[in-house]
Amino acid sequence: MAGQESGAVLQFAPFQSSVDEGFWHRLSSLKLNKLGIDDSPISITGFYAPCSHSQVSNHLTLLAESLPPEPSEQSSTPPISRGNRNRCSVPGILYNTNTLESFHALDKQSLLKAEAEKIWNDIHSGKAEEDCSVLSRFLLISFADLKKWSFHYWFAFPALVLDPPATLVDLKPASQWFSLEEAESVSAACNEWRNSSSTADVPFFLVSIASNSRATIRHLKDWEACQEDGHKLLFGFYDPCHLPKNPGWPLRNFLVLIYSRWNIKKVQFLCYRENRGFADLGLSLVGEAQISAPQEWRDELHVPNVVGWELNRGKKVYRCIGLAKSMDPTRLAISAADLNLKLMRWRALPSLNLNILSTMKCLLLGAGTLGCQVARMLMAWGVRKITLLDNGKVAMSNPLRQSLYTLDDCLNGGEFKALAAVNSLKRIFPAVEAEGVVMAIPMPGHPVPSQEEESVLDDCRRLCELIESHDAVFLLTDTRESRWLPTLLCAHANKMTITAALGFDSFLVMRHGAGPLSSTIDNRAEAMNALSADMSKFSLTDSDGGQRLGCYFCNDVVAPVDSTSNRTLDQQCTVTRPGLAPIASALAVELLVGILHHPHGIFAEGENANSSSNGINEQPLGILPHQIRGSLAQFSQMTLVGHSSNSCTACCDTVVSEYRKRGLDFILQAINHPTYLEDLTGLTELMKSASSFKLDWDNDTDADDDDCVEI
Amino acid sequence: MDISSWDGTLSSSDFCLAAHAFTEKWKRINPVLPPWSWVPRPKSPWLASHEVEGYLSLENMCILRSCEEDHDEKSHKGNEEPNCLGKDEYIDNATLVQSYRQDVRYFDFHIVYSASYRVPVLYFRTYSSDGQPLLLEDIEKELPGNSTNVLMESKWTFITQEEHPYLNRPWYKLHPCGTSEWMKLLFLTDPSLGGSQGVPVELYLSSWISMVGQAVGLKVPLEMFNKRKE
Repeated sequence: MAGQESGAVLQFAPFQSSVDEGFWHRLSSLKLNKLGIDDSPISITGFYAPCSHSQVSNHLTLLAESLPPEPSEQSSTPPISRGNRNRCSVPGILYNTNTLESFHALDKQSLLKAEAEKIWNDIHSGKAEEDCSVLSRFLLISFADLKKWSFHYWFAFPALVLDPPATLVDLKPASQWFSLEEAESVSAACNEWRNSSSTADVPFFLVSIASNSRATIRHLKDWEACQEDGHKLLFGFYDPCHLPKNPGWPLRNFLVLIYSRWNIKKVQFLCYRENRGFADLGLSLVGEAQISAPQEWRDELHVPNVVGWELNRGKKVYRCIGLAKSMDPTRLAISAADLNLKLMRWRALPSLNLNILSTMKCLLLGAGTLGCQVARMLMAWGVRKITLLDNGKVAMSNPLRQSLYTLDDCLNGGEFKALAAVNSLKRIFPAVEAEGVVMAIPMPGHPVPSQEEESVLDDCRRLCELIESHDAVFLLTDTRESRWLPTLLCAHANKMTITAALGFDSFLVMRHGAGPLSSTIDNRAEAMNALSADMSKFSLTDSDGGQRLGCYFCNDVVAPVDSTSNRTLDQQCTVTRPGLAPIASALAVELLVGILHHPHGIFAEGENANSSSNGINEQPLGILPHQIRGSLAQFSQMTLVGHSSNSCTACCDTVVSEYRKRGLDFILQAINHPTYLEDLTGLTELMKSASSFKLDWDNDTDADDDDCVEI
Repeated sequence: MDISSWDGTLSSSDFCLAAHAFTEKWKRINPVLPPWSWVPRPKSPWLASHEVEGYLSLENMCILRSCEEDHDEKSHKGNEEPNCLGKDEYIDNATLVQSYRQDVRYFDFHIVYSASYRVPVLYFRTYSSDGQPLLLEDIEKELPGNSTNVLMESKWTFITQEEHPYLNRPWYKLHPCGTSEWMKLLFLTDPSLGGSQGVPVELYLSSWISMVGQAVGLKVPLEMFNKRKE
């Protein structure tokens, strides 16, 4: 193969940079932990190795180890090992700025000149012959944006410019240049050089070939000794470039050294390249360069011109790398949370619908013991959209039982619970979309003075909007009567509703049945949209004791009244065994997840544990009960089914229709006149014939259980 | 241990044995690909003194992508600043002007022992030539067709992003929870593996990598599965 025509300018393939992610991680941590705003230059180390692939050049690489170790890490980070044949160390300097403006404002040319001067001085002082890696000294400027986790950077590989440039006399693969014996000997010598830990990472060397074709590799500092041998001498270097017609960048400064120090104008050089760890003389090149720079050019005092800024896809511009995905802690938290859920689906529950969990909006009425725990459990299931409503402030006793609050929330009179809860949720999982609503729920039996009427009506409207705009509602308040209005509104809007209520050592967790005036599963689709359903058309599910599941009030024979006044202080400060709230909250969320995965959703029938029909219909998550009642005193739990009552003060047809007809007027009337609801539903009548009334329960339940109060 | 009662897992010392057998075999059979190397890690204080902690590493495996014309003109990240190097920049004609047609993807693979699952785990990452890491979505796009099938159809393979146990940075890994099951299955159903002598630990990694390699497009030559001792 013919070499290049003599006289053509010798063209070098530029060095290319490659920055391992780890370098940016370490730089960020160094900046955050140690340097702060200090922007003095930092000494760093680059690594490269001779080309080992016929189609791909090697790069100058920066790794985490390229930066100096932090004092605390010195014991655990391995020191830069010398003698690593794949990592020839090259000294460099990093200028990292504090702002993007100062990055652009850096005087790049003078920085480059300063590094060039160092190389020039090292050449003339002889240091480059002692430690030849300084010939490939490099410069890096950067700006690390630690808020966006993006890094602007620009490498320069300073090369002293021969003026006029060197010309190429000849260039061919080494296997064609050497005789067979020479080639064999050169290969062997190179392999030995590369395998010995004292020389493996020395990137510039002399190849001395005796007249008997025996080759030896020598350090640059042995130059004088080699002169006395009179052997053929080639100047070898580790060439990162793979190109067949061009040598790599390190040769530039090497030629400068050869000319300046030893006054050689005709230079035979070896571009050493490898394959699979051994010298490859087919890939390696040998060439001859002619230097024609005048003697004055060698003058130590005149630093030659310098080039070397790395091009970015052919353009003279900096590079930018974005690492938010692997460095931003919020993103990492999100992907870890997603992984957890995916593993659950993948390993245990293939039918798990993660999409519905992450897109559904949950409204939690009450941010106390139940509310805090329910919120946490929902997040654990991948629910991201949570609204908490509570009008209270965090009291000193709360943090012990209400898992989202700490002492700080109690100070200065206490934060609003709804807002403190939202902040807490965000601290746990930054990607949660949580909102807090500070509002009281209007309650029947708590009459409203006329001047407050408007604000109570506003609250009613607000509650209505909230319920309409969410997919599931949790009733977690601390009184029975505060559950009435939400129950009515949920029944009207046919929203999935879960109630949790606590006694001293017992709990109730239940899901409300579908709203009245909504039809069976067959006509479900229409029912979901239709409020235009003719009120006279009651479906089959509406008959007395029909199949619609009951709500919290369906068991009542009295309407919700004021349960808080006229009580002693003890009873007003509600007490429950601490274990109850977490148990009940957990069950409440699991119940919701069950509804979401049931093909009939809110219309699903209630199932009991140990029921004979379970085997046939069992869903992957198990049974879907209607009510769960538990007792800590017995460490027991049972499931119950209760159907809707035609006289229910909250969800029966009569009440819901009346609400639909008269809206807020109806609500106001119910709030101000507690017996109104009983009259409306005919409960008053029922009470008169109480002895003949039979409650539709599977099990005997204590009347006290209905009087649930919670902390 | 008898194969039929084996649960598909490896002890950490067996992993070291298997790792060394594996690297030898790989080097012997597979001179084209870069070799695996054992990277020792500083010992945790709770390990027994005869146990060595470390992992297998295969780095800088490069895959050339087909040339693309005028790629990334629009994703050009820097701003055009005509004078960004100043007026006194020297014009140099000794610098070769190269065309940027080639796109190279680099892969790093680590085989790390998981003490909790007691199986090897494949960690990997991909980056382009300037060091920019590639996202999983991009990696999956570039996997050869049969890899994506293996990933989607097999319930044994599942790529996730987790922190590398030694390097404290997120790497991608093939989740190990199914490994012991299918290793057991593999050894039980292949009569040439083991037999009455018990579990051939030195063949563990070769067999294991035949499975996981497929999922990430790591081509493993067939001779690696040759069970005859050489």
